[in-house]
Parts: sequence; structure tokens; C-alpha cells
Amino acid sequence: MNFSFFERLLGLISNVHEISAESMSFMEMIKPPEDISTNGHLIEWLFMYTTYVNLFWFSLVVIGIFGFSFLYSKKRHKKPLYTHGNEKKHLIITAAIALGVFLSVDLVITRVSTHDMKEVFWNFDDSGDVIKVQVLAQQWAWNFRYAGADGEFNTADDVVTLNDMRVPVGKKIMIQMTSKDVIHAFYLPNARIKADAIPGRFAKLWFDANKPGKYEIACAEMCGTHHYLMKAQLTVLSQEDFSDWVKESQSMAIATNDTEDVNLRWGWKWGSK
Amino acid sequence: MAFLEQHIHDEPKTFVSKYLISYDHKVIGKQFLWYGIFWLLVGGLMAMLIRWTLAYPGVPFPIIGSLLFPHTGGVVPPDTYAMLFHMHGTIMIFFAITPILIGAFGNFCIPLMIGARDMIFPTLNMLSFWFSMASGGLLLLSLCLPLGAAAGGWTSYPTLSTNLGQPGAGQTLWLLSLFLFGASSTMGAVNYITTVITLRAPGMDYFKMPLTIWGIWLTSILNAIFVPVLGAGLILLTFDRVFGTTFFLAGAAATSGKGDPVLFQHVFWIFGHPEVYILILPAWGIVSDLLAFFSRKPAFGYKMTALSLTAITVLSTVVYGHHMYTTQMSPLLTQSFMTLTMLISIPSAIFFANWLGTIWKGSINFASPMLFSLGVVFVFGLGGLTGLYLASTSIDLYLHDTYFVVGHFHYTMAASVLLGGFAGTYFWFPKMFGRMMDERLAKIHFWTTMIPLNGIFTGMMLMGWAGMHRRLYNPFIYEFMEKLMPLNKFTTYCAIAMGIAQITFIYNFVNTIFNKKLPQAENNPWKVGTLEWDMPSPAPYYNFKEIPHVKCGPHEMGNPNLPEGKDFQYQTEELVKA
Repeated sequence: MNFSFFERLLGLISNVHEISAESMSFMEMIKPPEDISTNGHLIEWLFMYTTYVNLFWFSLVVIGIFGFSFLYSKKRHKKPLYTHGNEKKHLIITAAIALGVFLSVDLVITRVSTHDMKEVFWNFDDSGDVIKVQVLAQQWAWNFRYAGADGEFNTADDVVTLNDMRVPVGKKIMIQMTSKDVIHAFYLPNARIKADAIPGRFAKLWFDANKPGKYEIACAEMCGTHHYLMKAQLTVLSQEDFSDWVKESQSMAIATNDTEDVNLRWGWKWGSK
Repeated sequence: MAFLEQHIHDEPKTFVSKYLISYDHKVIGKQFLWYGIFWLLVGGLMAMLIRWTLAYPGVPFPIIGSLLFPHTGGVVPPDTYAMLFHMHGTIMIFFAITPILIGAFGNFCIPLMIGARDMIFPTLNMLSFWFSMASGGLLLLSLCLPLGAAAGGWTSYPTLSTNLGQPGAGQTLWLLSLFLFGASSTMGAVNYITTVITLRAPGMDYFKMPLTIWGIWLTSILNAIFVPVLGAGLILLTFDRVFGTTFFLAGAAATSGKGDPVLFQHVFWIFGHPEVYILILPAWGIVSDLLAFFSRKPAFGYKMTALSLTAITVLSTVVYGHHMYTTQMSPLLTQSFMTLTMLISIPSAIFFANWLGTIWKGSINFASPMLFSLGVVFVFGLGGLTGLYLASTSIDLYLHDTYFVVGHFHYTMAASVLLGGFAGTYFWFPKMFGRMMDERLAKIHFWTTMIPLNGIFTGMMLMGWAGMHRRLYNPFIYEFMEKLMPLNKFTTYCAIAMGIAQITFIYNFVNTIFNKKLPQAENNPWKVGTLEWDMPSPAPYYNFKEIPHVKCGPHEMGNPNLPEGKDFQYQTEELVKA
């Protein structure tokens, strides 16, 4: 499709000099952020499928509106057809449309969604070589907690960071999450995932990252005046870099964590409800 | 069928009894119309401020900015921004759309179209309007508080909407205001339901009622059942705020016992999802009628349309969970809600097919009500189909709380309902006020509304797909959204264009009502056969001298057996057969 018209339209009426979007094509502009996860494409696939089905059905509606408006305007078509639309053939056509919608829309989307959720996004199996992270959301920051050398959460040697999440490439990252004050939502557009962090509840989430680099974590649920500033950085490191960072942070944590400080003990036992 | 005897009231003579404390359903309908249009303007101005902030973060709002926000030199501050989108949502849903579609058209159309002299409970009807005035007053009052009005998003999720996140009295006033609104809505709903059941003219079976009445009636049923649920939630939240209970508090804030914030979401959406159908059903009804009237043929599959509307009404009560996928309900619940939500596509497909069937082989008169009705078919097509993405549990992981959602619900709840409301206004205006609105201005209004409207809401959906989430004061502090600046500007320009286009409507509306030089409208300018067109324009205070006897359906048009020179028949006439 040629979007140069839209590009020109957008270019014409916006002062694009302030950002680099000037040279960006329209399609590039509306592209979701880069997918760094193994499973993000599942969501994109279903989105695109739904788009194609929608385009099909909506084009029928558009053809109906514009086509009939053209063919059957007062000038062109003086004598309307007198029908109540309750003859057998009319009912059959309507039923066929309803069946078509059911088969193409309901069945496929429901099945694919259910499959994707069951097999992938709800698969919270944390056995094996996974990185476990506890997240505490608060107005307006993200706290991250990694178990220290003892592998236990909420002990004095935990690595605790603020707005700085670091994960290794290619490993399953398991998150348990809650909130201190109001409802927040952990939103990682690069992995196409999101879950609410609700006070008094634990949310579970997992993702993996296949491309080293720096990405943004956002709060997606309105959480107050500075909701828009509630942003954390996700740094995806190579596995060596990550274990170096963990080792260094652990030794630092043991040296600097104040064991008496209750504010540092916001963690919980992994998996507890 | 038993009929209640309906007396003719005394004619109101004074200004006060005629226009202010009137028992007449037509006057109350007009009061609701003015009231809704007032709030539409307030909510629209708020939308402009929001859009401006998204396109020009940190730039003063032009012209009136320095008046509104003197301490920042005209820039919308972040706390005010939160208040704006909270109030925009609240006002548009509860104070603009509900009064216009349900208050105004419900009141005006029900007795006239079913052949009654008034609503069954005229006093309750009046009370319903004054309750909504009171609730609007409280909302306005909350805007004047030192800590500002409520600013947690129109859904007011706790714990943000408890004292923890909203320390000011604004949120409490918001709760009380909505509670009064709920009382007003419930009164209206009870009145409408009973009126339709008891006061239908002799011969007016349920399947001879115009589809407008079907839409409004189904809406009223949903209203009567689900608005009280909202009321319960509002009261509990008020208790949490004022009396220190902890129904919805958890975590560190719950110092005296533990509640659950998600509980409120359940209560809110049990009401909230039927609410979106409460808003759209009257518009669907109006459109179903108007498409038939202006195609000069009977509504295609009338019974099927009425039944699909009923099916959607029933389904709408069991799908609310799709608003809460990200709260991680049990997988079983989540999947059930997805499946039930998806099922709505089937009755929707049926009445869409019927709408297109109605204009098929018609003889279409593109008068302004018809243009707006076709507009509704177009925008609701887009709005309905984009709901499929959000109903899916997996796509929702990514799209939840993004601008895709915003674009989607504006298409369904704002665009369709607004266009449906305009269609109704242009259509019933002669019967309400006795003059015809200017057709040329109405057509300009249609095109200048329709084109930018699609720009705004398609723009929003595209931003959402690109990852932009909701309720951000400045989205561009995120690197992945910087590229969306031009699209945001485009959307804002469209919004401003659409805002300006409404001036045509306001001018046309006010001028036609008050300009005494304009000619009187005919009794039946659109040549349709429903009961309200078989009486003088504007409708007299007693509606019908004689209660009519209904003998045929509402859209008997284009019947080849009709005598020469006539292409429709009134509902009071026996169906002409060969």
C-alpha cells in the first residue's frame, strides 16, 4: 500500500523538525516497539489475523453502505422494493452471515487465544534455570528484588534496585509482583505483556528477552498525578555480563544492606500467596 | 390488554409551570436535551485541553489557556490533566450521552411513539430531571474545590480513589454526584419500563413498536437492574473515604482490616459493561428506524433486529470480566468471559445485515438524519469489530490500557452515540420545537464531524497498536513513543476541527428554536407513519386527543398496494393489501 499521501498529510500539518520522525514512513511510525521475546509474535499473529478478518467484514459493510447508497438513491431508484425481509431466502442469507462471523471470528480467536494463554502466557512453571524477580510497585517507581547468594527472598543479602531491572538474555524471567499503595500495571511493550500490580495480591508474569539492549518498562494503570513518570529501565545483558553484575551486586548488598532497616524487607517468600 | 384511562392535564399557562417545573414528558425531554448539550460542550472543551496537552506537552493552551491556568502561564499542569480526563469521561458518559439519548429521546419518544398522553409517573419523571440537575451541580461544585475535582480516571479504581490517592473532597463529591445521577437514572428507567408495558395504545403489540422504543426500553431494563449496582459500589467507596472502612483497601494502607481493591472493579464493571450497551442501544434503535424511514421501505427483518437487540442486552450482562483480564482472574473465568464476549458478534452481525438489508433496493433520501444514521453504521462497524481484539485474552495482554482501547470505546460509545444523537435531534426537532433545522447546515455539520471524527479515533487506535498507553500527561518521555508525536498532532488537529464543526450545530439548533421568522414545520415533514407524526408540530401538550388504535407496523412504506401518490401509511391505518 502506498502511504505517501498520509505521510505528506502528516508532514504537512505537523512541525516534525523537533524529532527524527520526519524521515519515518507512516507504517514505521505505527509499528509496535521491537519484539525482544520468544512469544510476542503470537500476539502479533492473532492481531494480524483479526485485522484481516475485520477488513473482510468491514469491507462488506462499506460496500453495503456506499454501494447501496449509490445504486438506490432517490434519483436512481424511484420505486423501493416492498419487503419485510422475513422471507426464507432473507433468513438464510442472514443466518449465513451470522454463521460466517461465528466461524471466522469467534471460533478462531477464542481458540487461538486460549491456546496461547494456556500453553505460553499462563505457563508459570518456575522450575529449572529461571531468573526470579520480585517487583514492588509504588507511587511512582518500580522496586526490583533478586534473591541473594542464598537463593532465598527477603533476606539481608538480596539485591534490591530502583527503576533498574537487569535480566540475562535467553532465560525465562519469572516475576512476582504486588503494589505498596495503589494499583499499577507492569507493562513491557517489547515483550507484549502486561499485568496489574494490586495491593494485597500477588500477580505473576513471565517473559524472556532475546536481544541485549536497553528497553522501557511503563506503568499502564492510572496511579496518580505522576503516573506518566513511572518508568523503569530494562537492561538485557549477555549471560556473562549478567552473572558478573549479580556477583558484584551481591557482594555489595552484603556489605551495604542495613539488616535493621525494615524498609528493605518488603520482599516475601517466593511463591507464597 | 388492559388500558389505563389517561386524562388530559390542564394546559400549563405560566412560564414556570410550562418550562421549569413541568410534568409534561416532552418538556422534560427538552430540558434533558439542553442539559446534555451544555455538558457536551463542557466535556468537549476538556477533550480539547487533553488533546492539546498530548500534542504540545508544555506549550500553553491557546487563547483561553492563560485564563484557565494563570499560575502556569497557560500550560495544563499534570494534576489538572488527570482531573481533566477523569471529568471528561464522567461528564460525557453520565452528563451528556445519558441525558441526551435516554433522558431526551426516551422522554420525548416513548409516549408519543406508543400512543400515550404522558409517562405513567409524571412526577417521578420531573423528579428524575431535578435529581440529575442536583448531581450536575455537585459535579460543578467539585471543580471549584481547592484540591481540585476527582482525578483518578472515570473508573475511579480504589485504592487510588480512596483517601490514599485522592485526599481532596473532590472524589467524595464525585461519588455523591454519581449516586444522585444513579437515582435519577433509576427513576427514569422504572418510569420508561412501566410506561412501555402499561401505556401502549390499543393494538400496539411489542412487535409493532418502533425500534427506537425497543432500544430505549431494553436500555431502561439494563438501567433499572445495573445502575443500583453502581450505587452500591459508590456507597461502599464513600464509606471507605468518609467513615474509615476498608472495603477496598489492602496492603500497607489497610491499617484496620483488609479489603480488596479488585472487589470494586467487579462491582464497577458489573454495572459498567451493561452501561456501554445502555448508551448504545437507544442509538441502535433510532438508527434502525431512520434507515427504514429514509429508504422508504419497511425495516428489513424487523423481528430479528428486535430479538438481536434483546440477545445483546442479555449477553451484555455476563461479559463484564473482559475489562479485568489484567487483574489475573482465574483462567476459567477469563476464558468464559472471552467466549461470552465473542458471542456478541453474532447478534451484532444479524442486525448489521438487517440494516444493510433495509437500505438495499430502497429509495434513499439523503436527508441529514439519514446521513447521520449511515454514519452510525460506518463508525459502529469499526467500533464493534475493533472490540474483537480487546475481547481476546492474549491480544489484551498487549493492548490493555493503551490508546487502542481509547480509540475503540470512543468509536462505540462516543462516535456512534453522538452521531445517533444528532440523527435523532435532526429527525425529531420539528416535532419538538415546531420548526425544521436548516438542512444545508446540517449536511455541513455531518461531513465536518464525520471526517475528523474518524481521524481522531483511528489515530488513537494506531497509537495504541504502536504501544502508547493511556492517561499519560507526557507520553514522549518514553523513547518508544517519541516517534508518535506527528500522529498525536494529527489527532489533535482532527479533534480541534471536529470541535469547531459543532458550532454549526449549536448555531443551527439555537437559531431554529428562537428565530421567530422561520416558517413552521409541517405536521409530517419526513412522511413517516409512526404515531407522533400524525399530530400537529410541535406536539400539543396532551399528545393525542383520542388515544389511537394501532393496526400496522411502524415502517409501512413503499407498499405497491397503496393508492397512487401515497408511499406510506400511518400506524393507525389498516395494512393495505392487494
